[in-house]
Amino acid sequence: MKENVIIIGGGVAGLEAARQMLSLGLRPIIVEQSDHLGGHVACWHRLFPDMTPARELVAKLVESCREANIFLETTVQSINRLKDGYAVMLSNGVNILSRAVLIASGFKLFDAAKKEEYGYGVYDHVITNRDLENWFAGAEDLRIPREPKVFGFVHCVGSRDIKAGNTQCSKVCCMTAIKQAIEIKEKFPGCEVFCFYMDLRLFGKKYEDFYLNAQRDYGIRFIRGRVSEVSETIDGRVQVKAEDTLSGKPLKIQMDCLCLMAGMQCNPSATSIADMLHVEVDTDGFLRSKDNIYSILESQKPGIFFAGACTGTKTVPETVAEARAAALSIFNYLSR
Amino acid sequence: MIDRIASGFHPFVLPFLAGMFFVFGYCIYGILKILLQLPREDRLQFYKSLITPETAVKNVKDIFLNCLLHVKLWKRNPMLGFMHSSIAFGWFMLIVLGHVEVILFVPERIKFFYYPIFFNYFVAEADSTVKGSVLFFLMDFFLLVVLVGIALAVIKRFRSLIFGMRRTTRPSFLDLIGQYALWAIFPLRWLAEGFTAHISGGSFMTIPLNWMARQFLGNEFNMLPTWWAYSIALGVFMFVLPFTRYMHIPAEMLLIPMRNAGLRIRHARRGFARAEIFSCPSCGVCIDACPMSVKKANLKDCTVYLNRHIRRGHEKRVDEISDKCLLCGKCQAVCQVGVEGPTLRMAQRATRRYSIEQDYSGIDTRPLADAARGSKVLYFAGCMTQLTPRIPRAVESVLKKAGVNYVWMDRDGGLCCGRPMLTAGKIGEAKQLIRKNEQIISESRAHTLILSCPICYKIFREHYSLPGVRVIHHSQYFDELVRLGKLSPVKGSGSVVWHDPCELGRGSGIYEAPRDLLGRCAELREAGHNHAESICCGGSLGSLTLGFAQREAMTRNALDDLVKDAPDAIATGCPLCMSTFGRYADRPVKDIAEILDESC
Repeated sequence: MKENVIIIGGGVAGLEAARQMLSLGLRPIIVEQSDHLGGHVACWHRLFPDMTPARELVAKLVESCREANIFLETTVQSINRLKDGYAVMLSNGVNILSRAVLIASGFKLFDAAKKEEYGYGVYDHVITNRDLENWFAGAEDLRIPREPKVFGFVHCVGSRDIKAGNTQCSKVCCMTAIKQAIEIKEKFPGCEVFCFYMDLRLFGKKYEDFYLNAQRDYGIRFIRGRVSEVSETIDGRVQVKAEDTLSGKPLKIQMDCLCLMAGMQCNPSATSIADMLHVEVDTDGFLRSKDNIYSILESQKPGIFFAGACTGTKTVPETVAEARAAALSIFNYLSR
Repeated sequence: MIDRIASGFHPFVLPFLAGMFFVFGYCIYGILKILLQLPREDRLQFYKSLITPETAVKNVKDIFLNCLLHVKLWKRNPMLGFMHSSIAFGWFMLIVLGHVEVILFVPERIKFFYYPIFFNYFVAEADSTVKGSVLFFLMDFFLLVVLVGIALAVIKRFRSLIFGMRRTTRPSFLDLIGQYALWAIFPLRWLAEGFTAHISGGSFMTIPLNWMARQFLGNEFNMLPTWWAYSIALGVFMFVLPFTRYMHIPAEMLLIPMRNAGLRIRHARRGFARAEIFSCPSCGVCIDACPMSVKKANLKDCTVYLNRHIRRGHEKRVDEISDKCLLCGKCQAVCQVGVEGPTLRMAQRATRRYSIEQDYSGIDTRPLADAARGSKVLYFAGCMTQLTPRIPRAVESVLKKAGVNYVWMDRDGGLCCGRPMLTAGKIGEAKQLIRKNEQIISESRAHTLILSCPICYKIFREHYSLPGVRVIHHSQYFDELVRLGKLSPVKGSGSVVWHDPCELGRGSGIYEAPRDLLGRCAELREAGHNHAESICCGGSLGSLTLGFAQREAMTRNALDDLVKDAPDAIATGCPLCMSTFGRYADRPVKDIAEILDESC
């Protein structure tokens, strides 16, 4: 008989793990709290570095998981440890027994309104990376002017920021900002685009090339220095004060729109599931793996596995790779 | 009346006499030292206040009420007040009545300092006379009062919670010796007077003791050792007194007149500061009050330990404690003798020399002065408000609705008010900024200056010289606008709790205006600790060394206390409190201007 495996979270990690489990002959059951599969990626427009349409990736994953049991708009109500496995009670009343549970609950986007000095939710033309991505995907957004002349990106909003309660680097925002800056430049060739950064962490394949392109081919200006303060001018534009730490001078630039690169933090629902399972939370707020080198996908409890951004910030390819590895680890665990 | 000892002397009084001369000598030395450390003009001011009738009367009254009756302590906790006043006032009355006895019965012996203390040994006065029986009754009555106080003190040592104190100070070795000596004095006195009760007379305490403990008290050989023990206990107590917390007894009697004379701390250790440091009774009320003591952290960094380390000369710890403090002022608000913990710390910070000194003299104020011209009403947002754009937006909206013609003087940049420099002890730098801002404001010819940040507000009020300019916090200004009918807020259905920011409440004494204003906009709730007892949000820029991780627990503790009465929203009047609470709060945290703006 095929074995049940509960997957908490129907984002990229959950879907890819389910796909692998299906091909390994297991019976994955996906529990997703929102009304759609694909998680954050489903709301994204295009993915770096090859500008892959996010919709295609999600559609492909959803298509290959058709055999899996999927519960949308469902949360985990309780999990009880049995002698050999877990009894999971869902909010829709379904009760599932499973020897292994995969936590793939992902991350939560930092609420940019908490960095009030940047004026998100206060000023008319301040948006986040997610808003911009939605707009690229076709959504209406009145905060983005029809013909912006000056456009700014603020890196590390709620990442590497102890005041915001997050000390971790969110890994993807540097590249996302460059990608979005290029996309803005493509849409509005006459628009001046500024990126305010403290470090550019371009570690991945082709990332550095992307950055060089952005400067050389698109004329995007990178300014090293944190934005100190954002205000609104009388005509409703956004005024940014920052320090260019390379030239050592203060800057004041008026812009038509300012995009904040909100970072990742652990999903609160992951923390509540961790509580139910008595799985530890690490000092950075993400779930604690058995160890951070060899057993990232395993928890300290038998039969509980992790995949994706619930254990730390991850890119999409890293998440996909982890999901595959987690599926295999679970298969091996179950066939012991 | 019989003078039992013809010479009027017995060697057992020697320990007491030695202790008394020592303690008096030490006090005179201490007083002279403090007076000489005062700056000349302060010293003259102090002498003048001593002969001014009003302050002289106030001095006597304050010393009587605070040092003997402990009125403030009664208000804090009746048990604590009863314990302290029964010991202090009871003992005082025993000394006074002792003198009365000597003056009445053996006036020629008044020159012996020990006669009033050991009266019953030296003089036999039949309690059958009216005078004698009344006096003996009073003596026994006050002895009982003191004994009850001592009994409570012993209980407090083991069960401090009965007295409203969760944590108390760890006594030092000498403190313990002083304490045990103090505890021993009065039971020994009772016992000693029990011997003489059938010779010298006694009353309802001593005579029954004499009857009941006949086995012991009837044996004359036990008598002298007991009087010796009594005298030795007194002597020990007085010998260790200058080096223990009990030094607060004489020191406070100097501190009160000095404070009434209007003296201030001008040096971290000398003069007035020294009087405050020695007046600290080490009671530890500040330990529970300190917002840093949440979850048993930083317990040894509150003002009582600052005073102790200053007295012992532990410079490293003095610096650590001085730098860590949030300067919220709560220890001062609860302090029974009024030790100014934050001021002592800021004075300590000012003693430090830095290798780099900032120079702001080159800042050109002309563009800023130009921006400030054009209206009689100025609005100065300050750095912290600039980082919370919701506040200036709401302030502007309210001012417009009220039809106030105003100028936002630092809309396009301004100078720091200087308070961060001042709290860091950089007084010179702070003064430079203050002078620049004074120049900008006085050139604008405005008559009102509105501030939406209590940090700025406090320094503008206390350190700026702006003749003809009314400095006002926005909550007060808006409250006035509502009273004048320029704004008519509509009361909403929600409830809101007011958080008293340290610098606005304890720092500037503004408690009621924001509450009145909020009460017109929403249902007003109170926090568990409010007004002067309000808990610091933990974000204070007063601390130079506390990290974010340490502050989080303080903020969460303050939040828990704020939402005790389940308000829908939290309101405050400080941008720093707002952003600090906003980080962890489970419900909206708003500035008072936003709430007013929403309801009118």
